[in-house]
Amino acid sequence: MNNLRLLLPEAILATLGLVVLLADLFVPVKKARVLYHLAWLSAAGVLLWTALTLGDPSAHGVGSLWSVDPFSQFFKVTTLLTCVLCLLLGLDYKELPEKHAGTFSALMLFSTAGLMYLVSSTNLLMIFVALEVVSISSFILTGFERQNHKSNEGAMKYFLFGAFSSAILVFGISLYYGAAGTVQLAAASAAPGPMLILALVLILLGFAFKASIAPMHFWVPDAYEGAPTPVTTFLSVAPKLATFAALARVFGSIFPLEAYDLTLLFSIMAALTMTIGNFTAMFQTDAKRLLAYSSVAQAGYLLIGLAAGSPLGREGVMLYSFVYVAMNVGAFAVIQAVGSAKGSYDLSAFDGLSKHRLGLALSLMFCLLSLAGIPPLAGFMGKLIIFSSAVQAGHWWLAIVGVVNSVVSVYYYFAIAHRMFFREPADEKAIPVGAYVCGGVALAVVGVLLFGLYPEPLLAGVRASTKILP
Amino acid sequence: MIEHAYLIPLIPFAASLIMMFGAKEDPHSPVAWIGIGAMTICLGLSVSILAAAAGGQIPLPYEHNWHWFSFAASIGGKSFLYDMPIGVLIDGPAAVLLVVVTLVSLMVQIYSVAYMHEDTRYKRYFAFVSFFTASMLGLVVSSNILVGFMSWELMGLSSYLLIGFWFEKDGPTEAQKKAFMTTKLGDSGLYLALLFIFAKVGSFQITQIHQFINNGYMTGTVATVIAIGILFGAMGKSAQFPLFIWLPDAMEGPTPGSALIHAATMVAAGIFVVARLYFIFLAAPDAMLVAAWIGCITAFMAAAMALVSYDIKRVLAFSTVSQLGFMMCALGVGGYTSGLFHLTTHAFFKALLFLGAGSVIHSVHTNDMRLMGGLSKKMPITFVTMGAAILAIAGIPGTSGYYSKDMILANIYYANQPIFWIMLGTALMTAFYMSRLFILTFWGDDRDHEKHHHAHESPFLITGPLVLLAFLSLVSGYMLNRDDLVYRLLAKPTISAQAPAGHAPVHAEAASADAHAAPALSAAAAEHAEGGAHHEGHLPHWLHLALPFLVLGSIGLAFTLYKGPRYALADGLKSTFAPAFHLLDRRWFLDDAFDLLVVFCDKVAAVAFWIDANVVDRVFVDGWGLLTRVFAEISNLIDALFVDRTVDGFGGLSLDLGVGLRGLVKEGQVQEYLMYVAIAFSLAATLILTR
Repeated sequence: MNNLRLLLPEAILATLGLVVLLADLFVPVKKARVLYHLAWLSAAGVLLWTALTLGDPSAHGVGSLWSVDPFSQFFKVTTLLTCVLCLLLGLDYKELPEKHAGTFSALMLFSTAGLMYLVSSTNLLMIFVALEVVSISSFILTGFERQNHKSNEGAMKYFLFGAFSSAILVFGISLYYGAAGTVQLAAASAAPGPMLILALVLILLGFAFKASIAPMHFWVPDAYEGAPTPVTTFLSVAPKLATFAALARVFGSIFPLEAYDLTLLFSIMAALTMTIGNFTAMFQTDAKRLLAYSSVAQAGYLLIGLAAGSPLGREGVMLYSFVYVAMNVGAFAVIQAVGSAKGSYDLSAFDGLSKHRLGLALSLMFCLLSLAGIPPLAGFMGKLIIFSSAVQAGHWWLAIVGVVNSVVSVYYYFAIAHRMFFREPADEKAIPVGAYVCGGVALAVVGVLLFGLYPEPLLAGVRASTKILP
Repeated sequence: MIEHAYLIPLIPFAASLIMMFGAKEDPHSPVAWIGIGAMTICLGLSVSILAAAAGGQIPLPYEHNWHWFSFAASIGGKSFLYDMPIGVLIDGPAAVLLVVVTLVSLMVQIYSVAYMHEDTRYKRYFAFVSFFTASMLGLVVSSNILVGFMSWELMGLSSYLLIGFWFEKDGPTEAQKKAFMTTKLGDSGLYLALLFIFAKVGSFQITQIHQFINNGYMTGTVATVIAIGILFGAMGKSAQFPLFIWLPDAMEGPTPGSALIHAATMVAAGIFVVARLYFIFLAAPDAMLVAAWIGCITAFMAAAMALVSYDIKRVLAFSTVSQLGFMMCALGVGGYTSGLFHLTTHAFFKALLFLGAGSVIHSVHTNDMRLMGGLSKKMPITFVTMGAAILAIAGIPGTSGYYSKDMILANIYYANQPIFWIMLGTALMTAFYMSRLFILTFWGDDRDHEKHHHAHESPFLITGPLVLLAFLSLVSGYMLNRDDLVYRLLAKPTISAQAPAGHAPVHAEAASADAHAAPALSAAAAEHAEGGAHHEGHLPHWLHLALPFLVLGSIGLAFTLYKGPRYALADGLKSTFAPAFHLLDRRWFLDDAFDLLVVFCDKVAAVAFWIDANVVDRVFVDGWGLLTRVFAEISNLIDALFVDRTVDGFGGLSLDLGVGLRGLVKEGQVQEYLMYVAIAFSLAATLILTR
């Protein structure tokens, strides 16, 4: 009944994280990069395993606190993919102290494992533990540049906010326990009533913190700006998507939105998140902060798909999530390369990038255009399906807000593109690009272009993995 | 040939990639000929398609689709797997427009070889032009409105690149931003229309949407909403009121690029999309009326602005806006054929006008018409060809513009009398401002001797395209109008309006049979449309005869006012009607209105910031601080009373820690954030629990 074997990939990843931590003791500082390689290879191995067993029914099943289904496997793949890419970015990130390479990569693996547990769990206790594993690793990762004041400030804010939202989540869980007499998520055991609704709303807020949905998004800009760029990349993608998976499981499958009258709340939160993210991003002058707000806005688009509550909406969320990995990682990779070379993430660092590094500039432009949802890039396909799901579900005003927001977002994404192509560079400083960053960017751009022009393979994969086991 | 129509957008696209990434930047490189060669092949393909279609060898519309991707959709509670195809759909308008676009683009490129020869970003320019044309061609051939929308957006992107081509200057940078954001605003309307189409019809296939409407499944309200969305998109792209503000600024780009934007691509796209989805408009009479009035207002306002401008390119830009208004108005009153006819003829003479203006600017190095004059002797070929274009746009009998504009006016006359009289006035204004441009530039004696002295005729690569376009401007109208070719090629689509299916079995059967035939535009339907349109295609006899004289009179007025080096008469008028001139000079204050809107938004944002900084911070954060202090005092008291000094060590430690942490977290922002969350949560909980 326990079906513990279903969680073998996560368990192995966590163990490998411990191995990396242990190996840290024996590897000399000069060769510390080996640990990164060890870490990303282990994550890649687990990724390969999960991806290959994606459609294998023997790998699916229901356990006591978890259920492993095609849906969760899909999001495990996106999480692992992000982890691998971010570790690769970390290899080319110079600001990280070499002697802590083991800690850094182990923490990345731990938080990835936590996210993998999160997408599978059907029990509030397990959800809480998984979220805490992720949060605590992320707090440390955010403050990893200990000499950097901003990094410390970001970590501190992140921590305070995280503690607060954990409290909210626990409060919600306790109310749920009061209403249902169990912490197992099942609609049958819970008596509908104000208490249950209140519990669900509090749990939703707890999730909203991780997914950076308004009004729980305040920590995002500071934490993203301060964190080492590979960590920012990771935080902006993996926890967000995994939390959306958990949200889809709880509010899409177990407690359907309509049945609990939560559709309006979801719609309002989606509209609020998009609008706040986009309108604040317009005023930013720091590339990382700008992308931080943009990632808030992206969470809003994803939330539309959940608010629609239809199969098409879920497909849209899954499609967009996968595409989001490619475009956000690609964008952050270029920003990391430029930012570390220029020593500043100010937007002016991007002036005339196309003169020196046409490839980088084009890649960043493709990723940004895709984030803005300009066809024929992959982001457009995802948004199209999400917006159509909203219109089909009758929430046409949500689609209007979404479309208008995409217009607004074009403005600030284009501000960067404009700087890269239509400004003269301020200095002649060369921008070195590491091989790993190059590889990551290339992978991302290929994904953005391919899935925009020919989305069939991705859509087929998504269609095959929409099933959620109870 | 038609089975290879998919190549038409792909060839220039490939050419643009080759030029962009395969060539070195060099002002004298032969790279431009790659684009020209590609466009020549496309022109050949298009001409052969059009010739075959006009001769009746191939039946139109031709449609061919390939599998692209599929996703699960549910329409009206039914779930199904929707197959999204990608393909080509060539109907009459598409066949005509293919020739127009490829021809104008080819002329522009040949012209640009000479015009851009000194530019440092030579290859970039040609790559952009090819890319631009490819996007437009993609929109024209695509059978799937989603692919069409992609091309539409790519066109927006390429117009951004082309308008801001000389980005070292401030003007182009501002103009490109304005053009991009304004059209993007319009695009959101089209985007929403697409979403609604998909939600209601469950398909992006143009023919399937047509069938859906033929079957009578679409209610009037839905059709109106969708049509308004499409219209909004077209208002952005085709520069209709009030979104036309971007087009006059868009002339900051290279002049041949403007010719492309104003004649063949970009602005034609909006009209074309409306025509492509015309059956939706036919199902939504209200939207058509809106289109007609918007077209009318646009035409009038733009023509009025063109009356007073002294910048040669700006006059041409206003005239484009005005002519687009004519087309939109024609489509709005049901003049499908005449609107597209005018789109075709207008493409030729507007491209010619811009290229001619470019030739003049190239020679005298100014845009200001007050510094020109008397150029007829120096630039005879430009003078003659421009003259042909002026005759065409003014609507002198026999020229192309005469046929198409006459048809538009006739359509409007029978549909809507008030609009007709405004449009008639606008047509006369057109003749006036175009002759004014011509006189100021070429006629009489030179006003600026220095500039006049250096003026010279342009090289053959520039005059060659001018001559060809001049020929087409003169005869294309006649050629298309002969044997009612235009009615056959640009036949108005029909929708068979009938009771919803299931009303009566016989009806339903007839309806489905009809629906089957309708996309193919059966011969009978076409004939019917032709017969109907025929009657509407002619003005009443007296008007028909009077119109040329009115146009001539208006040209004569322009001569009287602007002949001679000082045009004192016109200046006198200007000082008499100063307020009116000022109004037009400031472009009806529309730019100011948009600026005000932006400023207003800024102000609102500033107020929000102020509230945040002063009210929220003062009341909540400081209040919170006060509360905390009160608590701290109390706990301090308790501390002093009950807790022994043994904890002093811990106290000191936590104090140090606290100070250290406070340094990291600026001024209580975190508490503020948390408070927002608490407020939001309470609101959400109240919202849900009180329902």
